[in-house]
Order: sequence, then structure tokens, then C-alpha cells
Amino acid sequence: MDTLITLMPVLMFLALAMLLFSGFPVAFVLGGVALGFGFLGLAADVFSFIEFFNIISRIWGGVCENLILVAVPMFIFMGTMLERSGVANDLLHCLQVLLRRVPGGLAMSVTIMGTIMAATTGIIGASVVMMTLLALPVMLERQYHPSLATGTISASGTLGILIPPSIMLVIMADLLSISVGTLFVAAVFPGLVLASLYIVYLFFRTRLNPTLAPPLPASEGPESNAELVSMVFRSFVPPIFLIFLVLGSIFAGFATPTEAAGVGALGSILLALFNRRLQRAVLKDVVARTGLTCAMIFGIFIGATAFSYVFRSLGGDDLIHAFVEHMGLGSWGILFLMMGMVFLLGFFFDWVEITLIVLPLFAPIMETLDFGTHVAAGLVIPWVAVLIAVNLQTSFLTPPFGFALFYLKGVAPPSVKIQMVYRGIIPFVALQLVGLGFVIGFPEIALWLPGVLLD
Amino acid sequence: MSMDNSGSVPVPERHPLVRLSRVLDRGLTLAGMVGSWLAIPLIFIIIFDIVTRRFLVLGSTKLQEMEWHLHAALFLLALGFGYLRNSHVRIEVVRERFSQIWKARLEVTGISLFLIPYAALVIWFGLDFAERSFSIDEVSSALTGLSHRWIIKSFVPFGMLLLLLAGIAVLLRNLAYLVLLETGQTAAAMELSKSLPELRNPEEELRAAAAQEAQAIRGEQ
Repeated sequence: MDTLITLMPVLMFLALAMLLFSGFPVAFVLGGVALGFGFLGLAADVFSFIEFFNIISRIWGGVCENLILVAVPMFIFMGTMLERSGVANDLLHCLQVLLRRVPGGLAMSVTIMGTIMAATTGIIGASVVMMTLLALPVMLERQYHPSLATGTISASGTLGILIPPSIMLVIMADLLSISVGTLFVAAVFPGLVLASLYIVYLFFRTRLNPTLAPPLPASEGPESNAELVSMVFRSFVPPIFLIFLVLGSIFAGFATPTEAAGVGALGSILLALFNRRLQRAVLKDVVARTGLTCAMIFGIFIGATAFSYVFRSLGGDDLIHAFVEHMGLGSWGILFLMMGMVFLLGFFFDWVEITLIVLPLFAPIMETLDFGTHVAAGLVIPWVAVLIAVNLQTSFLTPPFGFALFYLKGVAPPSVKIQMVYRGIIPFVALQLVGLGFVIGFPEIALWLPGVLLD
Repeated sequence: MSMDNSGSVPVPERHPLVRLSRVLDRGLTLAGMVGSWLAIPLIFIIIFDIVTRRFLVLGSTKLQEMEWHLHAALFLLALGFGYLRNSHVRIEVVRERFSQIWKARLEVTGISLFLIPYAALVIWFGLDFAERSFSIDEVSSALTGLSHRWIIKSFVPFGMLLLLLAGIAVLLRNLAYLVLLETGQTAAAMELSKSLPELRNPEEELRAAAAQEAQAIRGEQ
């Protein structure tokens, strides 16, 4: 009986894992399992009734009375508005025109777009769907090879979780008690390294085999240079300016992420207004989508708070600690174990569930990691957080489960077969692994910029 | 299109369970939209706070506290609305293979076993939480913060109450679907299932949403 009580957190986790696969919303399964095991704990006398009250205090302090998380609805609003008001589409079109003479130009424009428009909500499904709808029809029409097209779109569409302003990084920073600014800054170079790897790959691949990505006819795009310049000023400069304003003000220390997110949200409204697309219906749609996305994220946040509280109270943390110590892995071993788990979880779960359920369990272990001279002690957590982010992105791209691939296939024309999608993503998964290896081997990629900017 | 022999279109909307569900739906949608619209004042309060803080060196704790007040009210009011629109994430790997009947049964079970007890528990302790705040007339821990902390604290049980009601609304519409099937009104059940997002195949739903989305994000040029 006593062993059973000690093992209750394990059972709790197993119950969660199994019940999640029932397909009932994650937010409520978390809450239900927390409640159920709370009562089991009561029966076994290892949990007291008043602790349920503490859960409310946790929810209150962690999710509601939290100025950092205010950035989340604001960034979601900004991303949704940029997408819905056609700003994203105009930007992609402008990039396509600018790169029209370059072989593989359409594919590169998608990668650049993914890098700049990383602000778009940051929910994998939503960003990949948007990028597919915007870019895939044009690429297929121009005789791009479907594998190359879909690979580029999935990889670029998921960059958004890594490149700031990503709401995943806001939530990770909040859960790990580090500054959002630091994590944003730390993620900049790893994100750019990946984007550059994609572009270099696309460059050589399309050079070696031009039939994969035929250049656009010279007639494409505006007639005169004056028109081209006006197009750049209309569709390219404003969104770039907005993103730089938002990120720059955070990096320069002028604004907190919450303030910058508010400015970004206002900026997205102004851009829509400027493009004459701020109709009542658009605004209502953006507002409703923001509300629904927030309900989804914070619903899980609340459920995960209840779950972690009960899990801890039943001795889950101690059990994890004991387990890790028993394994005797050392810091590197633990790091790879965590990365392996996150990678596997990424097959089935979006980052929302992974960060909110698993990260709180990892957090105390992460604090004990020591990489000697490889990574300075105070910077281990931001570094590991960036590694987890890159790792998650890779996991979303890896066949056969990859989340991004499912969404892409879902909205692609039926002529695009899943085998083509799988074949197209393999080179990008390889590039992801190279990128991940770089950040593991050279932590400076992530940690140099925060050191320079934030000291 | 239903192929009813009598030639009349089946009207599941007349079913009492569906009607009750729709009444709840309307109220919860209203609450959810009110919450969602709070994003707009939130934007302007943040901007106003920045302007007064940076340029007039006022710096108001009240404004900052108002920001998280609105953020909390926003998502708490939208929790139930989100469930009605099926925007809470599910793990579909197994579920997508289920038939609609099994999906409906699963939903009914999930709501009764997980959602309702969980929401009820948070409401119960949340009321206690808000009441304690009210009874001591709790104010901000910051000297210049907002008073009447109980108002926003009451949004925790209130938001969960909305979620509970949304659970009941979804429960009723799925029960109605099962009852219609059980009583041989297949056409009406089919008709009803079209309006239940939780019964749709995720892939179909994605395609349907994408068609709409494609138009919206390209903008009407």
C-alpha cells in the first residue's frame, strides 16, 4: 500500500497520458485528473481538502495576476490582425516580386516571410495553415516541385515558435522565472541560423536542379521601377518597421515585452487601417479569434496549474529527483534525456501542452544542471530553453507524426500526396538537426547577444 | 442533403434539448464576445500607460493593474465560448478514427466525468476565494494600486461557471444527437451533427475552415 502511495504521481502521469489520447480537450482532462487524484490522495491521507483552495491561489497568482502574460493576448491579436487584414499576404507577394529573378526565389520568399512574420499567433496549426494557403498555390502554379514547396512551407511556417516575438517564449520565460527579454534575445541568432541554413540549402538545391524551382517570367510584377518602389513602401516597409519597433524596443530596454506587445497590437490596427482593410467584420473576426485562442491557451494553463499542484503535493517532484539521481546521468545525460522526451512528445502535442505540462517538471532539474565552462552557470536555463524550442520545432516537422505536416496536408490541394510532403521535409529535418547541433556545441550562438545587449 | 421520404426537411432545432442548448449557446457567445472585445481597451490602456510613463513620468500602478485585470477577464469570459466553438486543443490521433456516435458518447462521458466536476470544484473554492477578498475589503498590495480586488477575483468562479454552462450546452446537443439516432430520426440527427464542431472530422473541418480563411487572408482586392 505504501509503495502504491509513493507511486501515485507516476500513476497520475500515466492516467493523464492515457486519458489525453481519448481526444477530450486537454484543458479539461488535466483538470479532471487533478481532481481525481486529489480525491485519491484524500482517501490515502496524503492530500488535504484545503489544498484545493491553494490551487485557486496558484491559478490566480500564476495566470491572472501576472503582468508578463498580458503580452500573450496582445501578440495573438497582433498576429491575427496582420494575417486577417491582408498585410501578411501583401508582404509575401512583395517578397516574391523582389526575388523573382533568383532561382528558388518563391521558396526563399517563404522562408524570409516566416522569419519576419514569426509574430503570426505562433500556434503551429494556425501558422502552417496560413503559410500553406498563401504560398502553396502560387508555387505549384509556377511548376515548383511539390516536395520542395511543402518542405519549405512547413519548415518556415514553424519558425514562428522560435523567432521572437513568440508567445511560446513568453510562456516559457514565465514558467522558468527568467526574463522574457533575455529569452527573446537568446532565440534571435538560433532562429536566424536556421533561416539561413534553409536559404543556403534552397540556393544550392535549385542551382543544381533548376527544374525544381523555375524562375518567374520577367513579365511578373510591376511594369516600372516606380511602381516597384511604391509596392515596397506599401507592403514591405510598414510590417518590417512594426516588427523592428516591437523587438527593438524590447532589446534596447525601452519597453517591457507587455508594452511592446501592446504597441504591436496598435500598430497592426494602424496597418490594417492604412491598407483600408479595417472593416467592422474584420475587426470582429480578429477579436473573436484572439478570444478563442486565449481561451485555449489559458484553459490549458489553468488545468496544468491544477495538475502540477496535485502532482507536487503527492510527491511527484521528489520522485523525479530521486529517479534522475538514481540514473546517475550527469548534466549532459539529463539534458539529452529531456531533449529526447520533448522530441517524442512533440509528435503528439503542440507546444502549448508540452511547455505547460512538462516544463514545470523540468524546471527544478534544469536548475541543478552544470555544464562547467561550456555554459556559464547563470545562462544554463535560457540556453536549455532555446534548445527545447529548436527541438520542438524539429519534432513538429518529423514524419510520420509531425504536426506541421498534418496541417499542411489538410489544406493542400489533393494533388499533393503525403509521400511528397514526407520526402520534401527530410532535408529540412536534417538542417534542423544541424542547427540544433550548432546551438548545443556553440552555446554562444544563443548566449552572446544577451550578454552584449542586456548587460 | 437529407433524403427524407416524407419530403419535409428534418428540423432538429425543434428538439427541446437542442433548444435549451442553443439558449445557453447564445448567452455564452455573448459573454465570450464581451470578453474578447476587452482586447481593444487593453491595447489602449497599455499605450496610454506607456505614453504617460515615458513622456509625462507619471507611472501609474493603477493602469498596470488594470492591464492584467482585463487580461484575466478576457480569457475567463472566453473559456466557455471556446468550448462551444471547439477551439480547445484535443489529441486527435485516436479520436479521429471514431465514428460520430462514439465521438458524441465520448463527449458526454468526458463532460460528466471531467469537465463538470472540475469546473464545479474551481467554482466552489473560487467563490470562497472571492468571498475572503470581499470580507476583508482587499486592495492592491501596492500603495497606489486598485481597490476592490474581489471584483476581478470573482471572475475566476464566474469564468468557470461559464465553462460549466458551456459543458452543459455541449452535453445537451450531443445527447440530442444520440437520442435522435436512438429514436430512428436519422435524418434529423445527421442534420444536427453538421452544426456540432466536436463531431466533425478534424481534416474535414480544416478544409472547411481553410476555404473560408483563404478568402479572408488574401483580402478583397
